[in-house]
Order: sequence, then structure tokens, then C-alpha cells
Amino acid sequence: MTGTVSIVLVSHSARLAEGVAEMARQIASANVTVLTAGGTDEGTLGTSAALVEQALSSADRGAGVVVLPDLGSSVLTTRAVLDSRSEENPDDIVLVDTAFVEGAVAATVTAATGAALGDVVAAAEEARNVRKL
Amino acid sequence: MSESSEVAVELTAALHARPAGRLAQEAARFKAEILLDHEGTTVRPSGVLAVMGLGAVAGSRLVIRATGPDAAQATGALARILAEGD
Repeated sequence: MTGTVSIVLVSHSARLAEGVAEMARQIASANVTVLTAGGTDEGTLGTSAALVEQALSSADRGAGVVVLPDLGSSVLTTRAVLDSRSEENPDDIVLVDTAFVEGAVAATVTAATGAALGDVVAAAEEARNVRKL
Repeated sequence: MSESSEVAVELTAALHARPAGRLAQEAARFKAEILLDHEGTTVRPSGVLAVMGLGAVAGSRLVIRATGPDAAQATGALARILAEGD
């Protein structure tokens, strides 16, 4: 059996990404790989292609990777990185448009159940519409 | 023939993030289709955000309904998680 789907969180803030990752890991309470690419290489607010590349390289590709961006410009950086990679299986890295915190939690919990990439993507996408009140 | 099982629990603690996460993972282990009812709202335990959105507080009543071959095991397992609280 291949491992669980990995989650990569791309954020303008290293602390935000790590905080969300920590929360997602605790709620999922299981061995899911949640990696972060937050902030610039200098540690300031912004995104780093190098950090995104590093996270994608570290992710276990066995079951696929879901990438969650915090804001629109994280999408730009992530897309630039994905375009620059020569991929054998580009379809197993999926960039999902959803709420950052909710998507991370839903994706990580779903991944922890051993769900396939499509189901983890669906869970992250559904998170976009879930109301909290 | 499809088995069904229903268990009502009184929550000992609020149903927030960690127990919701545990319910989602436990529910995935069973073949049965499982639903949670709370104050007129029904959610699937797999939907961790929806479970958290129930706003189920300590002392409130939650009904676990399962349909399928392992329905009784499913309701029992989820009821145990809810009894454990956080």
C-alpha cells in the first residue's frame, strides 16, 4: 500500500504556515506529511520559490501531493515552481483553491484516513463552502 | 440484508477539533454509512469541518446512525470516542 497523500502549505508567513500545519497534524492525529513553504528566504513576509521547490521535493510522492496556497500570490509562486519542474507525473501534485486553514484541516484529516488523492482534493475544495456559524 | 444501528450519546465535552478529527478517522474504518444528528442538523463524520460546525457543547445530545454490515461496531466505536472527550 502506498503511503498517505502529502500536504504542502504555501504561505506568505512562515509562522502562519507552521501554525496551520501544527493544528492540522494534531487534529488528524496520525502520520500525515504536512510540509510548509512559508515566508521569503530571508524570513520576511512573502513567498519563496526555493522553499516551495524544497517542500515539493521533500513530499512523498507515492500517493500524491495537495498544495494549499494562503493567498493569490502564493498561487503565482507555486505555479512558477510547478512549471519549472520536469515532471514524469505532473498530475499527482494538485494545487487546490480553498480556504487556507479549513482546507488544510479537511485535507490532512482526509489524508490520514488513507484516502486517495482525488478524495483529499475534494475534501479541501469542499472546505471552501463550509460555514462556521 | 443491511444492518442498522443507532446510538444516542450525551456529550461529556464540547465536540471540537480533536474529537472531530478522531471521529472522521474512526468512521473511515467502517463500511457502514454513518450520520450524526445534533439539534436538527445531520452531518457525515467524515466531514470534519461540518462536525466542528455543529457547535455541539458538553451536555448536548448527539445521535449516531449507521447503516451497513458493520453498523453496530461503527456506532459503538464512535460512541466510545465521544465518551472519551478531548
